[in-house]
Amino acid sequence: MADRSYVFGLFRDGNQAAAAIKALRDAPWNIDRVHSPFPHHGIFEALRVKKSRVGYFTLAGGVFGFFAGLALSIFTAVQWNLIVSGKPIVALIPFFIVGFECTILFSVLGNIVGFLTQARLPDFRGLKVYDPRCSEDRFGVVASCAKGEQEGLKAFFRERGGEVLLFDSSPVTADDGNAPHV
Amino acid sequence: MSQFSYAQIDKTVLDTLRPPSLVYWLIIFLLSLGVMTGAACWAYQTAVGIGAGGQNIPVAWGTYLINFVFWVGIAHSGTLISAILHLFRAGWRNPIARAAETMTVFAVCIAGLFPFIHLGRVWMVYYMLPYPNQRLLWPNFQSPLVFDVIAISTYLIVSILFWYTGLLPDLATVRDTAVGWRKRIFTILSMGWTGSHEQWRHYTRGYLFFAALATPLVISVHSVVSWDFALGIVPGWHSTLFAPYFVAGAIHSGLAMVLTLMIPMRKIFRFEAFINRDVLENIAKTIVFTGLIVGYAYMLEYFLAWYSHNVVEQEAFRWRAVGEYRMEFWVMVVCNTLIPLLFFVKRIRRSVPWLFGISVLINIGMWYERFVIIIGGVAHGFMPHAWGLYAPTGIELGILLGSFCLFFLLFLLFAKHLPSMSMTELKETLGNGGGHGR
Repeated sequence: MADRSYVFGLFRDGNQAAAAIKALRDAPWNIDRVHSPFPHHGIFEALRVKKSRVGYFTLAGGVFGFFAGLALSIFTAVQWNLIVSGKPIVALIPFFIVGFECTILFSVLGNIVGFLTQARLPDFRGLKVYDPRCSEDRFGVVASCAKGEQEGLKAFFRERGGEVLLFDSSPVTADDGNAPHV
Repeated sequence: MSQFSYAQIDKTVLDTLRPPSLVYWLIIFLLSLGVMTGAACWAYQTAVGIGAGGQNIPVAWGTYLINFVFWVGIAHSGTLISAILHLFRAGWRNPIARAAETMTVFAVCIAGLFPFIHLGRVWMVYYMLPYPNQRLLWPNFQSPLVFDVIAISTYLIVSILFWYTGLLPDLATVRDTAVGWRKRIFTILSMGWTGSHEQWRHYTRGYLFFAALATPLVISVHSVVSWDFALGIVPGWHSTLFAPYFVAGAIHSGLAMVLTLMIPMRKIFRFEAFINRDVLENIAKTIVFTGLIVGYAYMLEYFLAWYSHNVVEQEAFRWRAVGEYRMEFWVMVVCNTLIPLLFFVKRIRRSVPWLFGISVLINIGMWYERFVIIIGGVAHGFMPHAWGLYAPTGIELGILLGSFCLFFLLFLLFAKHLPSMSMTELKETLGNGGGHGR
């Protein structure tokens, strides 16, 4: 993307940033990403982001965990096939408890794997084109434009109350087609 | 809250990470001495054998298992506050969620030590792992003790991951203000978090699932702990009441420990504007609720003994109230059910000294509750000729002291080195009027 420039508009107020994002939809520039110190509802609405797919990983982990817990209990029980106190060798009620705990454990592990892979963490490249104030009290809207059109984009952010920074490249690309290109 | 800006929230929390005073290091030193005392007692017991403790026949379960149940109980309020109250969108939990989660992680770690200590021959602990021995015998998955290994291990892993996930955006905030080697450490710890909308999109969803999964987990864990007892046919233990009774008791003690820790912390770190009296009052109201459930369970145990027409059960409960351990029993009843009723008085539940004093008494009462249940059960069983008594030895008390010192030591180290309030959630409350999640 060497033919594009990235302009960083920094806003003090999340609602100002959300308004700028909405206005960008009618402008000839693309929104690359938005940084915020917390998940701001107004920004999420303005970006019209889709629901995350982390839940599929969580579900897959849970299903695997339940059957893995049950299978481990049954497998180990049949290795010593001796009835004790008249109890069945494969006792489903106690084994269900093992299955339940493993469901939770593997759901959480799936959740973590889903979160890290979807959010692409750890990844330190993003820190090179990032303003540290975005973790404190600023909302950063990064938009891209063709080289030579930066002045228009800068003016666009300034008109909406933003402070402007300029980057030559963006390390972050749309991860699953959900990046809100206008 | 609304009088603060985002930057002021960061400043208040980040100020707590400044180099500590000499008093802090002095307290750390004293707590370390306590930890070493506990470690020395454990080393002595390992060298001479489990007989160094007061366990005997019939009271083979002593202080170590009391401590185990006590610390697992303490661990429960962290998940209640961070997961269950998150799902209910109770915004007042935001300033205390981080400290409560941290408390959970440390309490589970300490609880997990006690089965090791109780084993005596600690090097045999791998017998509990799903791994066959030389005769190809595996652990018995029908045993509640094996359920317990799985439940506590799951709880430990989930608590740590939940805690770290919640911490991630705040670690990035610390990174962005730090310099030198601290910046390098926090850069690695924050994994390159930049707060981009893609990261938040997956984070909020993942956090919601964490809360949704931790909620049934927290209920299951103490239910499983209660089945360590309830699945035995010992009088006073063999009851279906045990699971809800233990879960309510765990949350009761955990909330009391939250008050015990939060009250000095808000004073020392000047968090009064965030952890204000409304937050403390809400914890007190929740304690009234859990205290009433615990009180109801105490009464129901007596009702069940009477209604069962089982003379052994009736004798076990008669002896609890008037036998050799009557002092422990009445400390339990008064501290856990009667004293928390003082929180019905608004003036008391908004008074910081009263809140602190009552929270300490509940902690004491809940430790005695575990004493009464565990020791009282096995000491006075079916056979009168096999009745016995138990008293902890100095070695056991040294290990008990060490566990408390370790808990407070870890908490103090955390409070000075990591953000002890969630800056992200406080800012979110300010900006959105609520916690994570969409």
